[in-house]
Amino acid sequence: MRRLTKLSAVAAVAALALAGCGGSDSEGGGGDKPAASDDVCKTADGDGPKIGLAYDVGGRGDQSFNDSAYAGLEKAVTDFDATCIEGEATDGEAESAREDRLRNMAENGATAIIGVGFAYSESVNAVAPDFPEVNFAVIDGFDPDETANDNVAYLGFAEEQGSFLVGVAAAEKSKSGTIGFVGGVNNDLIQKFEAGYTAGAKAANPDIKVEVAYIQESDLAGFGDPAGGKAAATGEFDKGADVVYHAAGGSGSGVFDAAVEAGEGNYAIGVDSDQYLTATDAQKPFILTSMLKRVDTATYDFAKSIDEGKALVSYTVYDLKADGVGYSKSGGFVDDIAADIDGYKDKIIGGEIKVPTKP
Amino acid sequence: MSTATATSTKRTIVERLTKSWLYIGLIGIGVVSFVRIVTDTDDLTGAGTIRAAIIATCPILAAALGGLWAERAGVVNIGLEGQMILGTWGAAFFTYHYGPWVGIIGAAILGLVGGLLHAIATVTFGVDHIVSGVAINLIGAGAATYLAEAVFPDYEGGGPRQLNGLEAPTQITIPGVSDLAKDVADRHWFFVSDVASFIQALTTNISSLSLVMFALVVVSAVVLWRTSFGLRLRSCGENPQAAETLGVNVYLYKYIAVLISGALAGIGGGFLALVSSSGFSTGQTGGRGYIGLAAMIFGNWRPGGLLAGALTFGYTDSLRLRDTQSVHALLLLVALGLLAFAAFRAVRKQVRGALVVAVIGVVVMVWFLATDSVPREFTVMTPYITTLFVLALGAQRLRMPAADGKSYRRGSAG
Repeated sequence: MRRLTKLSAVAAVAALALAGCGGSDSEGGGGDKPAASDDVCKTADGDGPKIGLAYDVGGRGDQSFNDSAYAGLEKAVTDFDATCIEGEATDGEAESAREDRLRNMAENGATAIIGVGFAYSESVNAVAPDFPEVNFAVIDGFDPDETANDNVAYLGFAEEQGSFLVGVAAAEKSKSGTIGFVGGVNNDLIQKFEAGYTAGAKAANPDIKVEVAYIQESDLAGFGDPAGGKAAATGEFDKGADVVYHAAGGSGSGVFDAAVEAGEGNYAIGVDSDQYLTATDAQKPFILTSMLKRVDTATYDFAKSIDEGKALVSYTVYDLKADGVGYSKSGGFVDDIAADIDGYKDKIIGGEIKVPTKP
Repeated sequence: MSTATATSTKRTIVERLTKSWLYIGLIGIGVVSFVRIVTDTDDLTGAGTIRAAIIATCPILAAALGGLWAERAGVVNIGLEGQMILGTWGAAFFTYHYGPWVGIIGAAILGLVGGLLHAIATVTFGVDHIVSGVAINLIGAGAATYLAEAVFPDYEGGGPRQLNGLEAPTQITIPGVSDLAKDVADRHWFFVSDVASFIQALTTNISSLSLVMFALVVVSAVVLWRTSFGLRLRSCGENPQAAETLGVNVYLYKYIAVLISGALAGIGGGFLALVSSSGFSTGQTGGRGYIGLAAMIFGNWRPGGLLAGALTFGYTDSLRLRDTQSVHALLLLVALGLLAFAAFRAVRKQVRGALVVAVIGVVVMVWFLATDSVPREFTVMTPYITTLFVLALGAQRLRMPAADGKSYRRGSAG
């Protein structure tokens, strides 16, 4: 017994030492990069609207969707003297946990509440009628029932249009005539990405072959599984694809790894934010472009509408025309075909090309 | 005289076993090759598929091995998932600073800390094993999230939820063999090409950590079943009171077993962060610890069984990720396997069992013949269902260690 006590004492000391290591590193090594604790909501004290931002699974720091929403919030806080509260979803949480999060924000005085991600559609629908003086918004959201809520805005994106453009880029850059798509979860939203991408690729090269894989059919874990993303993308590279586009959230880093392993001449395409900027040095030469989804614009716009007293309600779609979607040029890989891509962009804006939303 | 007889019986048993395994292996490859040609899905035994299968297998295998060690000493370790999560963080942290091999050791240490918590709770304080295990899973997930947020944002390639761009352990390629095997594999001959693509996968860019994982299965088997240390450890899982009366320090053995268990699960997490992908991200284990535990249980608490379970799961999972069409070909494979198994049982005169298996086999066969593809919703379940089928049919009588999961107090032998 005494030996055990000793053993656990040693372990405890080791654990403390370890924790100490971590602590000192995070303070010592911190350059000018903002740490996670640098949070605008902790310092903001203006007298503008109080904005509640409820993140999806992944939360702040996902270098993608949620961070983009935060960027919009940050800008809104500075521009409108607003204050804010944040909350974050955990993996596999119950529907009621989402509702509680929204209720908490409303009860704590938030006048504008934004649910980041379609998963908030149901809970906003349940909570909104109880707080008629509060305005809600759901990014990527939809109204799940017949009765319209007059204090909810559904901020959608024309992902298929942005995907169309990167599809054009993929087809024009592909030498093998085969390109790939990796989706995180096979739902209506991600199918929009696939449909637009395939349509764009076929517009640029009618003979192109598109390999499609989904990591999960309905389990949202498909957005946080880099190993699965890598396996799926490697399968497509093995089948001759030389450009693979992913719409798989956090699983996307595995797709980039697969492109790196496939070697020179193979590319991956990022999604939601300009992923060239957050990729590692090894991955950068393989990231052709990214489909941009301006969640920050939508978040900012909604906050602006509250500040102006003309709150957004019902459906708003951020498309190419509204600059809600687009593609990135970082790395300079698509500079030579940018004119082509922009040509298609004008055609979509002009209504000449209708991009499908179903594969 | 008597020793000589003993050795010769032993030898014949060994010979018989290796022979039957050899036959099963050869027939197995033949059947797979047949299915590949009939259904025209070269991906079924492509080197890429086998490579992906090995990578998908290793983390599950590590967790399963961890489960084996703990449960053989009588401690149910449901906390494998949590220890695995800790391992992913440990691998990321130590690899960033000191390179991949120290990273693996770091993963093992972090997993071991999780194991230590479990051992203190279950062995020293006699807490219910399931309760403690669930707690470890919660703590593991929480601690990794917290530590990542506290440490990784300042690192290059890091953020509060991920750390990308970690260096991977060395990959091994055997130059001449690799090219030759690829050449043969690409010809898609019956049988020969299947063996060749297997060799190609094993000799081209295989991660040294994968080899370590498979070696660990052998090491665990030898240590647990061929040494007196292993015998004592297993006696703590079968009948700790009897072990105590024979002078075995049951607490110590249980501690060792659970610590090794945690370390192995941690290495599994390390594999996920360093080989399966090139970085840490929260939630990347995705329940693989539980799958490992299940593979170990259906593998009848034996190294060979859990290896079969982990391989089946890894293979079918990577198959469906790479090509949903190949899942349809898998149906034919399953049907033929079931029919072969039914024949095997019929020969052994287990009529009822043979009938049941044969009927299931025919149903799957009809399904294969009547359809062109498997519905997408089903493909996600294939790894689970196939593994369940294979292991449930393979091991009819599961027997867990007799005192598994029971709380043992020192001196209770009376």
